[in-house]
Amino acid sequence: MRVESLELRQFRNINQLDLHCPGELHLFIGPNAQGKTNILESLYVLSLGKSHRAHSHRELIQWGKNMALVKAHVIRNERRQRLEIRFTKQGKKVSKNGLEQKKMSDYIGALPTVMFAPEDLEIVKGSPRIRRRFLDMEIGQTSSSYVYHLSRYNKVITQRNYLLKEMSKNRRQENTLLEVLDEQLMELATRLWEKRLAFLDRLSIWAGKIHRAISQGKETLQIQYQSQIQLDEVTDPDRFSRFFRENLFQIRDREISRGITLIGPHRDDLLLMVDGVNLSTYGSQGQQRTAALSLKLAEIELIREETGTYPILLLDDVLSELDDMRKTHLLTAISGKVQTFVTATGTEGIDRRTLERAQVYHVSEGTLRRGN
Amino acid sequence: MYVPEPISKLIEGFMRLPGIGPKTAQRLAFFVLSMEEDDVIDLAKALVHAKRDLHSCPICNNITDREQCFVCSDKKRDQSIICVVQDPRDLIAMERTGEYNGLYHVLGGAISPIEGIGPDELTIPDLLRRLENEEVQELILATNPNIEGEATAMYLSKLIRPFGIKITRIAHGLPVGGDLEYADEVTLTKALEGRQEV
Repeated sequence: MRVESLELRQFRNINQLDLHCPGELHLFIGPNAQGKTNILESLYVLSLGKSHRAHSHRELIQWGKNMALVKAHVIRNERRQRLEIRFTKQGKKVSKNGLEQKKMSDYIGALPTVMFAPEDLEIVKGSPRIRRRFLDMEIGQTSSSYVYHLSRYNKVITQRNYLLKEMSKNRRQENTLLEVLDEQLMELATRLWEKRLAFLDRLSIWAGKIHRAISQGKETLQIQYQSQIQLDEVTDPDRFSRFFRENLFQIRDREISRGITLIGPHRDDLLLMVDGVNLSTYGSQGQQRTAALSLKLAEIELIREETGTYPILLLDDVLSELDDMRKTHLLTAISGKVQTFVTATGTEGIDRRTLERAQVYHVSEGTLRRGN
Repeated sequence: MYVPEPISKLIEGFMRLPGIGPKTAQRLAFFVLSMEEDDVIDLAKALVHAKRDLHSCPICNNITDREQCFVCSDKKRDQSIICVVQDPRDLIAMERTGEYNGLYHVLGGAISPIEGIGPDELTIPDLLRRLENEEVQELILATNPNIEGEATAMYLSKLIRPFGIKITRIAHGLPVGGDLEYADEVTLTKALEGRQEV
């Protein structure tokens, strides 16, 4: 995957940008609040149709203007495509090669992207919610049926929790209805678990390999899926649903008295370990960063397996968060394969070889100046 | 006020209807002014009659202006089969096929705890009474294929299984006349799961 050129109009603080960028490594340098991240954000938006940090698409339109445009020529497996998103106050229009795309699910995937920002370092030590979102986002990028089942699952959980609360408040007897919601919960939860475990199997292989390389063979990263229920038999539908039902039955009183669903993918977590030690509680900051980096680099490999092309990589202000050894590893791991867009406040700490092959831009008040 | 009261009341009236905002309401109100007086009177009468004269059928809960609805009062229809739908509009859609000659039961919605709709808020007790008293051999569950509709269908099948009646669920999958290549993955997966031997 290559972005050949990027064109921005009235996007955040960037009034006009025409960037010819066939090269592999692009470095945007400048003090804070000048528009460096806005450039990466525009590529992210072009990839997924929405921003990773804006609550409303209106924020993307330059102050006082009526519309914003993000346009790029991309090359994928030697085929050239023109991607374009136009934001107005009313909404957005997405088009591919000049044809408007009505369904976002048809469009997503045209520009596979992996973003690595400082908040991604949270994936190891942050709350379980962050790790679940990581799983859901990554699986969702390549499986639209996962997204569909996840949204149905969330609806069932809302209904079921509501019923449990009602039952605890009014002592209302709705056992048959609860059993029905149990059935729906079990069916959808099983589908999500199967997908998550399969994804995790592939992710662990890559992440393990990468982690070992970064730690120079000294550490072994293991990823374990953690659930309130044993998932060993999840691929055997009959046995598993019997087992699941028994489990639900055992915690029935507890679920009713607390008014929430206690078993399911919405309560699960990933346990990240190095040599058998839990990283989120006992890992050093360096180990946590190595693990986060390994997961992100593994994601790149998984997307390549899934789609046949390397995604583009957006590194937002993370180089300063990594020490020299990890930085060098990151930059060599992607070298020659992954087109990368990097933001940083300065060039200090970036080795000369990397700087020599990078295209460097200085960003100031929404405008770019080339210079190496 | 720039607008005389009769017309502002008319605009407000239209705005209470679903899907109609202030601009459309205003356009409709001014259009009414330009209509023939007879047509306006007919429209007003139709609104009042629809509200006053329609009630739900005491047997199946369909809307009707007679004592019983047109299905329940038609003795030529197959009395041994009942198709359960959520809404009178679903009944109309089923009738449009012309392929179904049995009876109906209109639930008046689907089970949804968040919206406060439990089994007792629907006409499920009436349905059970019918199953006890009438000679029903098959029940077709034709609720919507979303979470609430599926829950309702599953709930009914659990409740009615002891009656020893055949219970069926309508199929879901590809729309007829559609192309395979344009079907979304989820629909296609459903269609694959519900495949039949030929």
